[in-house]
Amino acid sequence: MQIEAARPGLRSWAMMVGTEGKLVARDTAGLIVPLGLPMLIMVMNGLGADGEGVPAFNGLPPLDAYVVPLTLVMMIAVIGVVNMPSFLAAYRKTGVLRRLAVTPAHPIQVLVAQVVVSMIQAICGLIMALVLARAAFDVSMPRNILGAIGVFLLISVAMYALGMLVAAIAPTTNSAVAIGLVLFFALLALGGGFGGRDALPDALATVGEYLPYGAGVEALSATWMGVAPDALHLGVLAGTTLLAGALAAKLFRWT
Amino acid sequence: MAVLEVDGLRKQYDDTVVVDDVSFDVAQGEIFGILGPNGAGKTTTVECLEGLRVPDAGHVRVLGLDPHRERAKLRQVLGVQLQKGMLPEKLRVREALALYRSFYRDGADIDRLLDDLRLTEKRNTAFEDLSGGQAQRLAIALALVGKPRIAILDELTTGLDPRAREDTWELIEQIRATGVTVLLVTHFMAEAQRLCDRIAILDRGKVVALDTPGGLIAAAGAQQRVRFRTSESFDTAVLERLGEVSEVRAERGEMVVFGTGDLLRVVSTELANHGIAATETRVEHATLDDAFLAFTGRAMDAHENV
Repeated sequence: MQIEAARPGLRSWAMMVGTEGKLVARDTAGLIVPLGLPMLIMVMNGLGADGEGVPAFNGLPPLDAYVVPLTLVMMIAVIGVVNMPSFLAAYRKTGVLRRLAVTPAHPIQVLVAQVVVSMIQAICGLIMALVLARAAFDVSMPRNILGAIGVFLLISVAMYALGMLVAAIAPTTNSAVAIGLVLFFALLALGGGFGGRDALPDALATVGEYLPYGAGVEALSATWMGVAPDALHLGVLAGTTLLAGALAAKLFRWT
Repeated sequence: MAVLEVDGLRKQYDDTVVVDDVSFDVAQGEIFGILGPNGAGKTTTVECLEGLRVPDAGHVRVLGLDPHRERAKLRQVLGVQLQKGMLPEKLRVREALALYRSFYRDGADIDRLLDDLRLTEKRNTAFEDLSGGQAQRLAIALALVGKPRIAILDELTTGLDPRAREDTWELIEQIRATGVTVLLVTHFMAEAQRLCDRIAILDRGKVVALDTPGGLIAAAGAQQRVRFRTSESFDTAVLERLGEVSEVRAERGEMVVFGTGDLLRVVSTELANHGIAATETRVEHATLDDAFLAFTGRAMDAHENV
């Protein structure tokens, strides 16, 4: 009998995504971060902001042009860099990936399913946070809405690529969370997550602008103001995706 | 025809050689056992067959495939039950089987499989809520869901109660009856003796013996024992001079006669000829435990037991 190599088809991929989705829905505590946190951050940042437009932001209030994009990037960074790797690390730790490694399913199938399900949660969290921002603080929608969607997706893949790298190098579940958090806070601090990059020394502020977090905030902010995002900012995001993704693929261990 | 070929397999981790020049072939439709204490290199050996580890030296083929380089082909025809290797906690039994079934081109009927493994009642139970035995049965079901031509089962009945163990053994025999070749990794003697056509005894990374269970017992020179009691003592020389008898010993008020051949009959006849009345006479045949002891110089039970 001839033996043919066969990888699972589309139905199997869909089933894996559906299964991951069910698992996520059953883990109620796990939903707090992607769904609750964005709203919380939005409220924290929205309170105390006034709605006055400023010329520096093309006539938009700082809340709309800067704080909201910052919040969205913060949210996808938490989910991508801290949340998702902790799930993957747990899968490796408990042997879920190892068990899959002896089936025709490539464990890549799990990674993709994880990212898809995580993205769905993140988008739900984002929509809820934006609706809240709109209702409570009268935040405007991006002037370049398609651009905003595109930039947000680019930021997302960059953050997930970093998350994959964290999952690849972390030996245990706890260390995945620790490494993810350190990376997240470093990016956040340099990217202006704590009171704006202006408060940082010039050199650090410049570095921060060209790290994924700062670049993401700048690019997303541009779409809110309706101006073209800086190509360099987009380049940083694309570069991060490629570099971190390639490193993660090289370093990832299934067992 | 050999469906599994292992020739001169060697694997070391750092400075420790865990598998040292291991060779064996497994024929189509055979139940082949790898028996040995923990640390003997059993799991590493099968991991090389599963393509999870790359041998440092030697030749390994599964259905003619190189397990590492041709893993995409191998995965379709090889069912594996890992000693470790789990499912997400919240995943339910039937969902797990349906998901795993979707990986294979051809597969088993899930509900039938659930039934065969007595998991039908537990089909909507989350993995984290299964008992040890139920989780073990699910692991076996997952190994079989792709209708494999070869199944590698590692520590098949560990954690099962006697009834579940017996059921599982019957299931393995049914699977073999459908033409599936089974490689069984175990440190449980009764399981190996009950199921395996042939057994390789592994000790400290080497194959120390390879034969049928009966052949191993015979080759180990393990002897039968006839035990009996007598109301008064007698001269044991009457038994010792029999050709079949190698030794006569008194143990806790019992006489134990070691020997070969039709031991029970010749001993009984000789006792009767001398007018010695024996009671509670019974014969103990050599088991795989005796053979294991003979080949490795150690009792398996001294290491651990199930």
